[in-house]
Amino acid sequence: MSRLSVDIEKSQGSFDLSVRLEVDTEIMVLFGPSGAGKTTTLESIAGLVTPDAGEIQFDEETFFRRSRPGGDRVDLPARKRRLGYVFQDYALFPHLTAAQNVAFSLRGEKGGGRERAGELLESMRISHLADRFPREMSGGQQQRVALARALASRPGILLLDEPFAAMERAMRERLQRDLRSLQSELRLVVLCVTHDLEDAFAVGHRLAVVHDGRVEQVGRVEEVLRRPRDRRAAELVGVRNVFQATVLEAGADGVVLDWDGLVVEAAAQHARVGERVPVYIRPEDVKVMYPDRSVAEALSANRFEGVVVDHHPTGDSTVLRADLPNGHEIEVRYPGYTYTSLTLETGRPVSICLRRDALVLLPARDPH
Amino acid sequence: MIGSALLASVKVTATATIAIVVVGLMLGLLLARARFFGRTALEALITLPLVLPPTVVGYYLLLFLGSGGPLKEWLSIDVVFTWQAAAFASFVVGLPLMVQSAKASIAGVDPILENAARTLGSSEVGVFFRVTLPLARRGVIAGAVLGGARALGEFGATLMVAGSIPGRTQTMPLLIYDAVQRRDYGTANLLVLVMTAIAFLSLWAVRRVGSS
Repeated sequence: MSRLSVDIEKSQGSFDLSVRLEVDTEIMVLFGPSGAGKTTTLESIAGLVTPDAGEIQFDEETFFRRSRPGGDRVDLPARKRRLGYVFQDYALFPHLTAAQNVAFSLRGEKGGGRERAGELLESMRISHLADRFPREMSGGQQQRVALARALASRPGILLLDEPFAAMERAMRERLQRDLRSLQSELRLVVLCVTHDLEDAFAVGHRLAVVHDGRVEQVGRVEEVLRRPRDRRAAELVGVRNVFQATVLEAGADGVVLDWDGLVVEAAAQHARVGERVPVYIRPEDVKVMYPDRSVAEALSANRFEGVVVDHHPTGDSTVLRADLPNGHEIEVRYPGYTYTSLTLETGRPVSICLRRDALVLLPARDPH
Repeated sequence: MIGSALLASVKVTATATIAIVVVGLMLGLLLARARFFGRTALEALITLPLVLPPTVVGYYLLLFLGSGGPLKEWLSIDVVFTWQAAAFASFVVGLPLMVQSAKASIAGVDPILENAARTLGSSEVGVFFRVTLPLARRGVIAGAVLGGARALGEFGATLMVAGSIPGRTQTMPLLIYDAVQRRDYGTANLLVLVMTAIAFLSLWAVRRVGSS
């Protein structure tokens, strides 16, 4: 069992980063909005950014230590930290082929690491791309090359910065599966940055919610979702719209769920009948319905009559919370200029629709 | 005479160009990546020979290389009126072209790629030779060709620090001047043609490198 422990401080202008985190042999997801300090944290661990003070330790090895700004310090250069870093937008070397990219860190090995690079490409199922340049590959293919390159020198730590951003769904899911199996196979300490809750759920064993340069909460993914420590953590993970439901039917036409008495339909996705699964819908995908107008096909299912609990403007959108007949609360977010003809006041009835194609079944996870 | 001028030009230009590439790369890297006090002043100083009259550059070089200059006083090296002085003059006037071009192309290399190389175990030297330089190669080659061509064509400053000694410091541009003075138009025409062809080919090569 390896352990990476991070306890660092850094101020950048008006922004103060103060992160304390321990990552074991697992996938820890750093989750939070952009600008929260997630990337700076990764860069500090990799040695690309120097914290003002603190300590970064990997097993017995000290990457960084400095008790106070200006004090004595240990600061291992990035090249000696021996960790794998998958950059946002991949950062493949455009002048090198896929195989040369993967072999970049293997120069000292016999044959320039060509054999090992070949193995890695093989295990990522991209041997056929070996001689292609990055510009000749799709985003998903580049991501695989970047992952193979980061793992080439057999690091103990793998850092990933938004690895699934801008990737189509099928490719994303495959990569997520690959990442999980790689982690357990190679016994890696993985720290993965994302701002997407679905990605966090799909790959993470544990979740660290980062906001404003601080770690708000750390815990098992479903734990953080179900029991956010405070309102801010709850808002960050959008937790109000994660609920537990039982699968009634699952087929090619879709999935039917029982959400504590309400029958909810979702698009076809992986589900097992009888299983209790967490279901998630983004507040933007919950719609308020006009009571007397015809509705689009996509909004004809999952219509429920609720009661407005609260509504308040936030920036350019409005957040509305409503009680549903099953006693649960749902959050709706819509642009501030819409629904002006409706009286959406506390205590008033409201017609709510959960977009059928926006309901996501999150994997029911066995305890880690 | 033409033969010895050609030889002198080759010797002077080759030496100057090598120095231009090495020093120009270092300065280009420094100016593109480092933030330090006096950066703009240093850049202006390097570029100065591009805009100063050749006689002014030559005069400064004389002060630096000649009697009373640091090279002679402290190191007892006297290069005035030798081909080395001509090479030094060519280096000084060719350098700004290399520095400008190298700086621009190095600045255009995404620093994230350099960071990626660092996480992959590269030393700073390795990062430069395996990532930065290959990615900046077009600008570097263009700068070297332009700087070299400028070194080959150097006239004014060279005349002041190296003179125009046939068989020793008389390069092609100097011989052209000399030939015209002597009304030896045959020699002048031939050399003018050679110089024009070299200059044209250099520009063509730079464009080719830039667009491919």
